Amino acid sequence: MDDSFKRLLERTIRRIPAHMLKTTLAKWGRLTTEQQRSLDFRQTKAAFTRNLLGLCDENDLTVKHITELEMICVMYNPNKGMWHALRLLDPEDQAPSVELTQFKEQFKAHLAELIRNVSIKIKKHTDEAVWIRIAWGNSFTRPNHLKPTYVVHYLQTPYVFVNGLTSKQKPLLSQALVLATRYSSIKDASLSGQKLTAIRDLLMRQYQQVFPTKYPSPLEEKNQLTSNPHIEREQAEHAENRLQMACEAFGDGTLPQLQTAVYKLETKFRDNSNKIMTESEEPFRCFVKFASTNLLESLRCCASSGISSTPVTPLLSSITQKGRNYFVITDKGFGPPPQTSHPEN
Amino acid sequence: MICVIFSVVRTPLSSVLVQKRRSKSYRQSYRSCISAASHLGYTPGLNTRRLTTSRRAPKSRSVTEKVDPQQLALLLNKEWQLSYVTALHRFRHTQLKSYSRQLSAFIVAEKQQGLAVQVGLESSIKVSFSVVLGMAETEDDAETIFIQIHSRSLFAGQDDPQKVLWSGWLTCVNGDPDYLCSVPKDFVCLPLFCSSGAQWLTSAVKSWFQRTFDCCFGPLEINSVNLQWLAVLWTNCHSECNIQHLKLMWTLPVLPPLEVNYTLHPQDAWLLWRSVRQQEDEEDEENNGGGAGEEGSIGIGEVTRFMKGLKGHFYRHFRMDLSAGRLSQVSTALGTAKHSGKIKISNSSYMITTLMLLTECALHKMPI
Repeated sequence: MDDSFKRLLERTIRRIPAHMLKTTLAKWGRLTTEQQRSLDFRQTKAAFTRNLLGLCDENDLTVKHITELEMICVMYNPNKGMWHALRLLDPEDQAPSVELTQFKEQFKAHLAELIRNVSIKIKKHTDEAVWIRIAWGNSFTRPNHLKPTYVVHYLQTPYVFVNGLTSKQKPLLSQALVLATRYSSIKDASLSGQKLTAIRDLLMRQYQQVFPTKYPSPLEEKNQLTSNPHIEREQAEHAENRLQMACEAFGDGTLPQLQTAVYKLETKFRDNSNKIMTESEEPFRCFVKFASTNLLESLRCCASSGISSTPVTPLLSSITQKGRNYFVITDKGFGPPPQTSHPEN
Repeated sequence: MICVIFSVVRTPLSSVLVQKRRSKSYRQSYRSCISAASHLGYTPGLNTRRLTTSRRAPKSRSVTEKVDPQQLALLLNKEWQLSYVTALHRFRHTQLKSYSRQLSAFIVAEKQQGLAVQVGLESSIKVSFSVVLGMAETEDDAETIFIQIHSRSLFAGQDDPQKVLWSGWLTCVNGDPDYLCSVPKDFVCLPLFCSSGAQWLTSAVKSWFQRTFDCCFGPLEINSVNLQWLAVLWTNCHSECNIQHLKLMWTLPVLPPLEVNYTLHPQDAWLLWRSVRQQEDEEDEENNGGGAGEEGSIGIGEVTRFMKGLKGHFYRHFRMDLSAGRLSQVSTALGTAKHSGKIKISNSSYMITTLMLLTECALHKMPI
């Protein structure tokens, strides 16, 4: 039982939330029912891991089996670490017809060609997402299972989400993905966050959207605040309009839990009261970061309460409309996202 | 305990510092500070000190020439929690050794009250009081006192490193001379108290001071006006000392709360500041016909204009009004200041200016 086996098992057990231990081990299926019954799920994780190590020894399990357990753990608890979104561009004719087995074969083949000693595991999740776990090695070393990369791709969509990918590994993965999915290229989608579910919902528009209508009927204000009825009557129409525009920009109901949005501003300073700065040709460089436990909810609240003016500025509504949370703004408009490094959050 | 009331408070007819345009800008800033302090039951009548509307532009003081660098190193690069403390009755700078022993005994006694105790832990705490010479700016300022609490193992030798459990200091830098002179002879005024370490030790130290010197402590928050002053004073230093960035943080009152971090490139922040200054000088010339104001002084009007400029730039892009939120943090390479009353000084060059501002905040909070 070598060191990496122990470490991987310890780390995986630590990551699984206590209430999900039993079901995760059952899904894993590498322990007999008797062995599962013999485990005490109320122990501390350290003690539990020691017992589990004993059982793995009995069954002669290897590191490969533990990686299966880790993959199940990550698939059912995806909201940890930092996920980055990528977008495939320019599909070829065969792209829409790529289905799972074809994708699996092609991806494994292409990646193995590009780099030796790489361990790839592909699984399909219940929501039709294809999950890939990659442990990287090279000509001289075996695959490092302690630093895996996870990739999630929804077939028939151009979206890919990655976690734990270094800049050296990125070109290799990009190449393999592009070839396997029959697109021409892949680029950074300028969207990242801790919660995979949030950035997926944002990018794939899986939240309640509100569209502008010709005959707007007021949306139900969810939080009914008691207030002066005279003020309410005066403000009713304005409040309705603000709420409508806020929801058009950000969505209605429960919104994807994005945590940050970053804007790099390189625009000129314009202010009628300050002639000196206005006459300067140089951009006024600054960096703005919005942070919250649920950013879209906060921004919607800002718009509906009047802290930010409505209609919502395209800089903010682009988060939902374009599915991004990193922007470079110059006087010419939204700059192209940087190709190389991921933004710091 | 005796409650001392100062029967004589000199109210100067002419203001403390040279002020150019007193009326409008001064009243606005005074009111905003009053509302912040009103929860303390702060009645303007008793404390008649004026709010500063103009400050000298900070110059790099060679603090290292006046203060021992080793002592200075203890104060820098650490986050301090601020409190104000009223004047200390019968505090003697010559009795520091005795105070060290007394505080040490007090802390050990506190620790044994109701907490689990190991037998033989008597002298496990060592307290040291020391004077930091050179920080006082005027004759009226008392010398800064630095307190450190070490843990001491019973079997440690002389040279074994001791773990610092807590440190704190009391200081008064360029305090309002009228207030300081009005304090009766037996009292020492060191209004600014900075602490860093375990909460229970901070409370123990404060209790001991309260009992021994009949003073009282209170939390010192840095309100939005003072944070803006710090932002401007630090930006003003950029020509001599690279501030690396000007970072401002606002918290907006929405559900869930939204934090906006606005970081400016130091050169651009400085250019904006310089343009505000130049504009102010031009307007001065028009109004006063060339009568130059005090050389190197910064007025509250310029601070407001600077902040308005940056908030305006933000508004043009995001159409979001930052005034709806609260400025909660300002940071540059010179230091970080938080609304909750935390300060970290990273550079000794402009330290004195920062401390002058904080001393003033502490003096404003004095109940009497």
